[in-house]
Amino acid sequence: MSTTTSVVERLRARIGKTAPPTEATVEAGHLQRFVEAIGDPNPRWKAEAPPTFLVALVPVSMHLEEAEEYGKGWLNGGNRFEYMEPVKVGDRITATGHVADVYEKTGGSGSLLFIIFETEYVNQHGRVVAKLRGTAIRR
Amino acid sequence: MKVEVGEEIPELVKHPTTRQLVQYAGAQGDFYEIHYDQAFAKSVALPGVILHGLLKAAFLGQLVTDWLGDRGTLKTFEVSYRGIDVPGRPYRCRGRVTRVDGGQVELEVWGEDPEGQRTTVGSAAVEIFSSPLRGAISKSDP
Repeated sequence: MSTTTSVVERLRARIGKTAPPTEATVEAGHLQRFVEAIGDPNPRWKAEAPPTFLVALVPVSMHLEEAEEYGKGWLNGGNRFEYMEPVKVGDRITATGHVADVYEKTGGSGSLLFIIFETEYVNQHGRVVAKLRGTAIRR
Repeated sequence: MKVEVGEEIPELVKHPTTRQLVQYAGAQGDFYEIHYDQAFAKSVALPGVILHGLLKAAFLGQLVTDWLGDRGTLKTFEVSYRGIDVPGRPYRCRGRVTRVDGGQVELEVWGEDPEGQRTTVGSAAVEIFSSPLRGAISKSDP
């Protein structure tokens, strides 16, 4: 009990703290591999990123190794994307993320740990192009 | 473009394979073993390798952008993963218009397994352009 409590407490101490920004350029080859992998033949995605591409461009979540002390494995609980403008090949994107919330839920099949990440994506013109909220679950 | 509340948008059926999961793992840079290593997946109490939640999100994203075409833009897109899905089984993506307010349109979207269970549920908000160039709408795929 004290072990899991302390993991949750340590993770909660990260809430609101911003991770160092990550930068990446949208490359045509990477975009092509991504759209082939999702199997979406829309020709629009030769030059423009499809709705979920940003998660492939830069990490969606900060690596919280200490969360792995909790439970057996990770599950993705959900994702929410907000789009301000299209992301195109050649764009230089800077992603800045932070932990928005950490909480534990106990149900019939045991305890789960929820970690909510928020990431903001800014292009080379300094404009926010998208925001992402993700729920990572340890079970 | 005429959009009405309750209208269902054309469905999209995907046929994910283990190969596609490996391809997606590489393209996204998500190398969590539950998506390609059967023994590892079973060791964490899964029936075998499972689809990435974000791959199912990409399928539902395609559902919405195929329907929308160049008639408007996607503003928000949200998905919750309620159940696991394994490769080798068709994944049926569906959606329905839930709200229309001028050019602002909201949809509920979901992904179903072959038993009809909604293993992914979500929503999308789109903005339809006010003067669509009807004649200019073309889609390479139905």
